[in-house]
Amino acid sequence: MRSSAIVLAVHSVRRMRGVLIGIALVVGGFQFLLTQVAAFLLRRGGFGLISSFIPDFMQNVAGPSMLAFTSFAGVVAFGYFHPMVIATHVGLAIAIATEPAAEVETRFADLALARAVARHEVITRTLLVLVWSELVMLLVMMLSTWTGLACCTPSDTPRPGAATIRSLAILLGAIAFCWGGIALAVAARVRRRATASGGVAVAALAAFLIDYLARVWDPAKPVARFSPFHYFEPMSLVAGGQLQGRDVGVMLVVGLAGTAAGYLIFARRDL
Amino acid sequence: MSPPAIRLEHLGKRYGRVTALRDVSLEVVPGEVFGFLGLNGAGKTTTIRIMLDLVRPTGGRASIFDLDCQLHGLDVRARIGYLPGEPGFYPDMTGEATLDLLGALAGQRVDRARQTRLLDRLGLAASDVRRPLREYSTGMKRKLGIVQAFQADPPLLVLDEPTEGLDPLMQDSFYELLAEARERGRTVFMSSHVLPEVERVCDRIGLLRGGELVLCSPVQEVRSLAGRRVRVTFGADVAPPASWPDGCEIATLSPRTWDLRVHGALGPVVSLLTTRPIADLDVQVPHLEEVLKKYYANAPVS
Repeated sequence: MRSSAIVLAVHSVRRMRGVLIGIALVVGGFQFLLTQVAAFLLRRGGFGLISSFIPDFMQNVAGPSMLAFTSFAGVVAFGYFHPMVIATHVGLAIAIATEPAAEVETRFADLALARAVARHEVITRTLLVLVWSELVMLLVMMLSTWTGLACCTPSDTPRPGAATIRSLAILLGAIAFCWGGIALAVAARVRRRATASGGVAVAALAAFLIDYLARVWDPAKPVARFSPFHYFEPMSLVAGGQLQGRDVGVMLVVGLAGTAAGYLIFARRDL
Repeated sequence: MSPPAIRLEHLGKRYGRVTALRDVSLEVVPGEVFGFLGLNGAGKTTTIRIMLDLVRPTGGRASIFDLDCQLHGLDVRARIGYLPGEPGFYPDMTGEATLDLLGALAGQRVDRARQTRLLDRLGLAASDVRRPLREYSTGMKRKLGIVQAFQADPPLLVLDEPTEGLDPLMQDSFYELLAEARERGRTVFMSSHVLPEVERVCDRIGLLRGGELVLCSPVQEVRSLAGRRVRVTFGADVAPPASWPDGCEIATLSPRTWDLRVHGALGPVVSLLTTRPIADLDVQVPHLEEVLKKYYANAPVS
């Protein structure tokens, strides 16, 4: 006999399969496309041209992030921290994590929880679907990057290492999980999915902008520490740095704390 | 002695300053069909949701087959088939997939033959259950709701407005299912607004008003509260008696017709009439509606 969490997870994935396949195709296709753009720029000597167009002071301000636009490896890796890709992953995580609120809103929760189904199984289901979906998306992205590099770029090109791509994927997965956990905590409390997903999406956008502001305006730096995006540092990886366990840890801890709060709140609330 | 199927003890629920339920106590014995009545907002659904542990009480306790609904929620709910007032089906799922999913969640293997029989009885064809629910009418969704509640043949059925949206023929099919469930010893706890339905299928009723249980009695007893209407037509003019039997109220009197309301036994009234030239005697059994409407209106019941 399968546990109710698994039954619910299979049901959720089945209902969302169209959206999941669509997103996987878009993010996977984007990674593949970036490898081809990078190969094209390499063949045409475009990286040197781009560098020459950017004034020195801008290159100084941008620091190592210039690598994202002026090197083959940087362009290939760009797909793991492009704002639209981040927004897609965080948005998907929020959408999945707010399913408990949707089930309360549509009253499916009444039908499910009027049976011998423990409330924690609803949250466990959401966690399973969240982690599974994010892993699938990241695997599709990495597979697309590998396919693009393997099939259509010169073998002597200085490519980003597998460890770098893996680290970028971990970082992207961690930021998505972080916001998924926050969304789960909110969704466990409210009665409407739009309230949960809208609220958390606005919070995520604000946190992103605060972090962005802090990168160019020092007075905003103390506040930026409270933004999960402060711990999302892909550029150092592109520049050859190591994945910072502390940064990933902070994002995972926030996500786990949100998940734990979700379990607690959903177990105690009136449905 | 078997424990009560349902026991509510001083059950209370407050939402902030609003009291939804106040000190509700009742018992439903196994095999009984219990009607739970009240106007909108009286607290019927809140009571049902507490029994299912969807809502937590702020006072008192609820138990099903001697198991506390909050402490042993899983064991309790494994014994319940629930039909919500508004079933939250997913419109993009087919009826078949919905029944399979809910059956799998119940953790019980659904007897396909029983499921098919239920679908047949309620007029849902195989082609209907293969269609997405967005194409279902309100009545079809209600039928599917009934099937999902009955399909595991649980010992307790909790039904919230079960016949809402069903046509009269399907209502009859539903009453038959209910009667069969009772024959098999199943307990039924149903909320309803339809008083003739309650009168027809329930053994006892409980009536909530403003979150309080103001009446809990067998249907027969509740009916008797209203008294039977007796109309006597005489073949010749008669004079009224000097004194009337106990429990006999006079509605209207004329030399050839008496309209009376009789509470309790009819014997004394019949004795009174034997010496008079009766042309016709019409006794009308009171309807539940007559009593309950007075309760709903918070009026004293004679």
